[in-house]
Amino acid sequence: MLFFASKNRPINSSMSELNEIVEKINQATDYQTNKRILREKIQTDLHVPYNSGLFKVTPELIAFLSSWHDAELFLEDTYENPIKIAREEFLTLCCEHYQQVMNTWHDQHEQIKRIRKV
Amino acid sequence: MINTNKSNVSEKSKGFLLFAYNTVETDYVKIAEQCARLATHTTGLPVSLVTDSDTVTDYPFDHVITKENKLKNYKVGELGAWRNGGRYNAYDVTPYDETIVIDADYFVIDKNLLKLLEQDFDYRIMQKNNLPGGHWNLSMGMVGLPYVWATVIIFRKTKKSEMLFDLVKRVQRNYEYYRRLYHMREGNFRNDYAFTIANLILNGYDLNETQGIPWNMLTFAGVIKSIEVHNNLLKIREDKNAYVIPKQDVHVMDKGFLLSKNCQQMVDQLCDA
Repeated sequence: MLFFASKNRPINSSMSELNEIVEKINQATDYQTNKRILREKIQTDLHVPYNSGLFKVTPELIAFLSSWHDAELFLEDTYENPIKIAREEFLTLCCEHYQQVMNTWHDQHEQIKRIRKV
Repeated sequence: MINTNKSNVSEKSKGFLLFAYNTVETDYVKIAEQCARLATHTTGLPVSLVTDSDTVTDYPFDHVITKENKLKNYKVGELGAWRNGGRYNAYDVTPYDETIVIDADYFVIDKNLLKLLEQDFDYRIMQKNNLPGGHWNLSMGMVGLPYVWATVIIFRKTKKSEMLFDLVKRVQRNYEYYRRLYHMREGNFRNDYAFTIANLILNGYDLNETQGIPWNMLTFAGVIKSIEVHNNLLKIREDKNAYVIPKQDVHVMDKGFLLSKNCQQMVDQLCDA
């Protein structure tokens, strides 16, 4: 570490600066890691229980429910079980849940984008 | 033996069950108290504690259940022991119809676990674990079986659940046999492995038969310097990394942090929010 010291400054001063830099690096937070953790949490939050089944709400699920013609149908849930669905009721639930979770994602993503240090 | 001040449990009761056995070095019951505060605050469910007769706690647990536990584990090169045996007792001692067993170092900060209680099932076990840097992709022994995490187990009082816990008991009692059978490297008893083996046997050795919780657990395995609560975010500082994550369930393994004043402050902040 001695070679970091210049001729005009004592070694202790250089070490102190070095420690400060290390401390700053330790405080730095990686946006990409935080973003990935947030996305994982949102994937969890997207799950919604319905009629003893568990569904992950996706745009595909909402589109499918919107386009289906019958009032009742059976859908495969996360655990590969066929669950009886009242289409209108479940569609409303999915839309509301999706909107709420996506809003949360957007808000929290905006917050973590601005944070570079902890 | 169950020591309770509460009225008799009603039909379809729900609650958390924690296991905490103190060692000379670590006050696991104190960690369990913080965990219980947070779990009750977040979900509104009661929390019961399973511990030994030496334990004294002022925390108003729903029930304090006494079960002796002689098993001690040691890590090579490190001081200290931990006492993780007897988890199979959960089925027999739980005062609830629907029980969520969590490790005392698992903090319930969101309500996602409650979604699982609204389905038909016998039991659910945490299957996937993430570190902040990515997946915790470890397998059990030289046979390379993926293993479950006994950190979170949800079960109902059904025949299949009873069989699961009976099998875990059998595995713990004959651990040396199963350790050799599955070519495990570690000598210490691990609940994760015991539940993996029991789950595997119960499902006819079918790895595709899932009883798992469908999302990832987030684990911090390193030394934690601090966790601060800022609105709906948690700011977590490790020795060499720092993270900003949403308020969510976290598994924090650093016992030093869990017993620190900072941890207590974090729980205070979360419970005051």
